[in-house]
Amino acid sequence: MNEQHVMVFKDVVKVYPLPSGDVTALGGVSFQVDRGEFISVMGPSGSGKSTLLNLMGCLDTPTSGDIYISGTRTKDMSDKELTELRRDRIGFIFQYFNLFPLLNIIENVTFPMMLKSQKVVDPEKGRAALRSVQLDDSLFTHTPTEVSGGQQQRVAIARALINDPDILLLDEPTGNLDSKTGAGIMELMSELNRKGTTIIMVTHDPNIAKYSRRTIRITDGMIVE
Amino acid sequence: MIFWEIAKRNIRIHLLRSSLAMLGIVIGVVAIASMGILGNSLVLTVSDSLNTVGDSVIVTPHVGRTMGGFNGGAGGSSSISITEQNFLQIKRVSAPNVAIPVLQTSDRMKLGVGSDDIVTIIYGLNPDDVPDLLNLKEGGYSRGDSGCLVGSTFARDNNVKVGSRIAIGTDGNKGTLRVTGIIEERGMAFDVSTDSAIVVTKNWFDQAYNRNDYDKVVVKVKNLDDLPAVKTAIENQMNKRDKIVDVVDTRKTMETIFEAFGQITTFVSAIGGISMLVAGVSILNIMMMSVTERIKEIGIMRSIGAQRKEVMSMFIYEALILGVVGSLIGGIMSLLGGYVISSVLIQTTKYLFVPSSLIYIVYGVSFGIVISLICGIYPAWRAANLNPIDALRHE
Repeated sequence: MNEQHVMVFKDVVKVYPLPSGDVTALGGVSFQVDRGEFISVMGPSGSGKSTLLNLMGCLDTPTSGDIYISGTRTKDMSDKELTELRRDRIGFIFQYFNLFPLLNIIENVTFPMMLKSQKVVDPEKGRAALRSVQLDDSLFTHTPTEVSGGQQQRVAIARALINDPDILLLDEPTGNLDSKTGAGIMELMSELNRKGTTIIMVTHDPNIAKYSRRTIRITDGMIVE
Repeated sequence: MIFWEIAKRNIRIHLLRSSLAMLGIVIGVVAIASMGILGNSLVLTVSDSLNTVGDSVIVTPHVGRTMGGFNGGAGGSSSISITEQNFLQIKRVSAPNVAIPVLQTSDRMKLGVGSDDIVTIIYGLNPDDVPDLLNLKEGGYSRGDSGCLVGSTFARDNNVKVGSRIAIGTDGNKGTLRVTGIIEERGMAFDVSTDSAIVVTKNWFDQAYNRNDYDKVVVKVKNLDDLPAVKTAIENQMNKRDKIVDVVDTRKTMETIFEAFGQITTFVSAIGGISMLVAGVSILNIMMMSVTERIKEIGIMRSIGAQRKEVMSMFIYEALILGVVGSLIGGIMSLLGGYVISSVLIQTTKYLFVPSSLIYIVYGVSFGIVISLICGIYPAWRAANLNPIDALRHE
């Protein structure tokens, strides 16, 4: 396995058994992601983009084929180890931000740190992460519902970055934002990528996909280019 | 700990719902503890009134026994009795324990000139046996046949003091006795219940009522472990051919009585336990609601690295907080409930603050916490085992 590859898919098939018959979401997908890449995954609705993202994020396991994250085959890992992998080496950014409404902004950001350290953490790292995504200090103790959509997405980015992950997985990161705010978020992503973070982004918006340096197009569960 | 904090905040933002669930636990704890306190207070009340220390074997004529001779003594004594020969046999097999023959009747008596006649129980005992059986709170034991002892309730109710005179029989036809001592309060006892009675010498009793046999024999057993053996020895000796005596081991009898009361206490506490189970179902219900409302949140937690056990702990903490707070409030209110119930039903609260009553509050509180935890386990397990992808997609 090349040291440069942070992620490798080898003939990955994902079939969902349904009462009405099996549905093949991915029909034998192979590709690799190198360290520091910025990749867009594009395709029509139902093409298998979300399935691909779930497999990349170790939220799901393939029916057949192998997935390697930094050289480790995910099939050989227990649920506990996969959870630790998500916690320590993968950052998720969702379309709907998915912040915890019961926690304030600084607590949301430091939540993954607390999962990792199993104790009370120094909030200074959280504050630094929030400042790095240009969020004003005065908002740190607000709850997510008290700030705008763009600000919530910045909080989600800070949360995804707090444990210094190898890979950032983005699921329609600007899908719920206006174009100006979305552009701001994508500038931030480009900046993170320039600093070395590997980014894989699912989107259906070609304008957003332009920020990436490589595009994987997927149709009917197969990579077409 | 962040999951503890989230559990607390979730309870706070659903305060009404959480309070209602806690109210169920409060009611359950109060029901269990109050019923337990009431039952225990009843046991203690009965225990106080039963003075017998459980160190005696009581021998009485067998009820239904047919005898060749009847004792037709005046004053309504029993028609069957224990003969002197029977007593000597009992004494022999009970040795070295002390066997005390007891005579008993009831008669009219007058306590002063012009006073109304009263009817009370009269016991006849050998003067030598009295110190083995009775303690005095005033005066001394009567040695001569002209003296008698009186029970403390009798003395109080009739204003009798040491030195008072009592004329026994209709118009004093049995003679007049001087009170030499007042017996300590004994309560209801298996051997002799003297609180409202008078105790005379056996000689005086024999002469007054023409008696030469006994109503019962009390065997005071020195070593309590010998009680069953003494009982068996007497039965074997006396009931060889026909059953002529009933033999009661007072310790065994008391154990049976207290066991019965204990069962009653357990039963009424179990009725309280039913309300706790209902409260547990309420906890289960709100925990299931909590899980359903937070499926997406659980999915996010799992996707960013929360382990199953951490998700589970969050819901366990929530159930624990509801259980502990509800149970502690219930424990405090149980004291109040126990006070009210004791005051109303047994007219005293002196048995409330004794360890054997307070332990029911500990039982109630512990049961409340355990039920809450048990009812929180399934929702927590369900939350922890949700598929992260399904949970993330949940709207």
